[in-house]
Amino acid sequence: MIKLVNLTKSYSSQLGPQYIFRGLNFNFPTENNVAILGKNGAGKSTLFRMLAKSEYPDRGQILTNKAMSWPVALQTGIHPQMTGRENTRFIGRINNVRSLTNYETRVREFAEIGKHFDLPVKNYSSGMRAKLVFACCMNIDFDIYLIDEATSVGDPMFRKKARAALKEKSQTAGVIMVSHELDQIREFCTSAVIIEDGELTYYSDLEEGIEAYTQGAT
Amino acid sequence: MIFALFLRELQSKFNDKFGLSWAFFEPFLFIFVLSFLRGIISGDMVHSIPLFIFMMIGLVGLRTMTGCLQDVSVSIKRNKPLYAFRQVQPMAAVITSGFLELCIKSVVIVLLAIALYLMGESFEVNDPLLLLSLFALLWVMSVALGLIFAIAAAFVPEIDKIKAMLLRPLMFISCVFYSLQDIPEEYWYLLTWNPLVHFIELARYACFESYGSRGVSLSYVLELTVVLTFFSLALYHITWKRVLSR
Repeated sequence: MIKLVNLTKSYSSQLGPQYIFRGLNFNFPTENNVAILGKNGAGKSTLFRMLAKSEYPDRGQILTNKAMSWPVALQTGIHPQMTGRENTRFIGRINNVRSLTNYETRVREFAEIGKHFDLPVKNYSSGMRAKLVFACCMNIDFDIYLIDEATSVGDPMFRKKARAALKEKSQTAGVIMVSHELDQIREFCTSAVIIEDGELTYYSDLEEGIEAYTQGAT
Repeated sequence: MIFALFLRELQSKFNDKFGLSWAFFEPFLFIFVLSFLRGIISGDMVHSIPLFIFMMIGLVGLRTMTGCLQDVSVSIKRNKPLYAFRQVQPMAAVITSGFLELCIKSVVIVLLAIALYLMGESFEVNDPLLLLSLFALLWVMSVALGLIFAIAAAFVPEIDKIKAMLLRPLMFISCVFYSLQDIPEEYWYLLTWNPLVHFIELARYACFESYGSRGVSLSYVLELTVVLTFFSLALYHITWKRVLSR
């Protein structure tokens, strides 16, 4: 459970501050795999980044005692000049992984990028990058995994593997996912949170949530 | 955490063919060439100091300041993608680049000292403690100034242009290749607001007592450093969360 207390977040713009959330109180469930749904600009990514503490609200607090992953998206924290191995070691280091060598081999196996692991990331295809980032995240034990849509781009084989890994993780941990692709969400998630006009609604049944979301859209 | 960032910075900074050696070699070469040029133009001694050493102290002071300031002030922006990890805060980036710069400059100074020794120009430093504390102070002040610029640039990107404009004349107004004593005393006030003048003149005095320290004071740079450090940290404390969402 993540508690959002009196959360206010705004961005400044030419038209004055744009409020995304204003005094929001909400209990964010984390028992199931949750999808965050909402229109473009509704604040999905902002909420997502605030949950990960990559960004901080103007006022209010986000309270949780769970260990959360970083927001896993296509580019986060990957240095294009460094090799896959160096990037992996860096991520391992800042997340206090106990054995770096162990972690390295696990990531290498999971990512299935073979000898590219020792080449600079700038030469990777976007699918390979996604695989690397995803593998880095999956091999650290978090309570909650935050996954952005970009991560699930890999080929069908890898996707299958990713889903299996997430399934396994969801026995012990939660997953929060942001995506527009309803197919992907159906693949990974079991419940949904919809953002509309700065308010959150929770649907414990995914199909119910998707229905409410698509109806709001039409 | 800072160690991890430090390694990363090292790896990324020196990915070109020259690698790490360039960072040491470039300022070394720069100082060497300029000192020789000045040596050709005028005599051997300046106010009882061998000219070569006179120039060297000035240039080392200048390079330490500008190098540090430049590097620290871009560090916040450069490490932006990393703030996605909640463990990495902008301060870590600032500290990392500050330390990296300190290491590089220390090695350069050691290299210069070795070069001096090999040329038979060696001399005895009169007041090593003063010299060391001056170097440390200069570093702290440069990092503090860099931090201020870095935060300002996060909100107003144009600050970077102003910074470049401010740094350019620094070489000419900081007593790098002349002494404060060469200037008529009634015009000193035009130069002595600049802390770098104090740093460089004091460093020369620390090496050679006969050079004298008229017109410059340690307390001025000490106070300025404390004020700037305090100000930059306060600024950082109130803005860092907003810097993240920029």
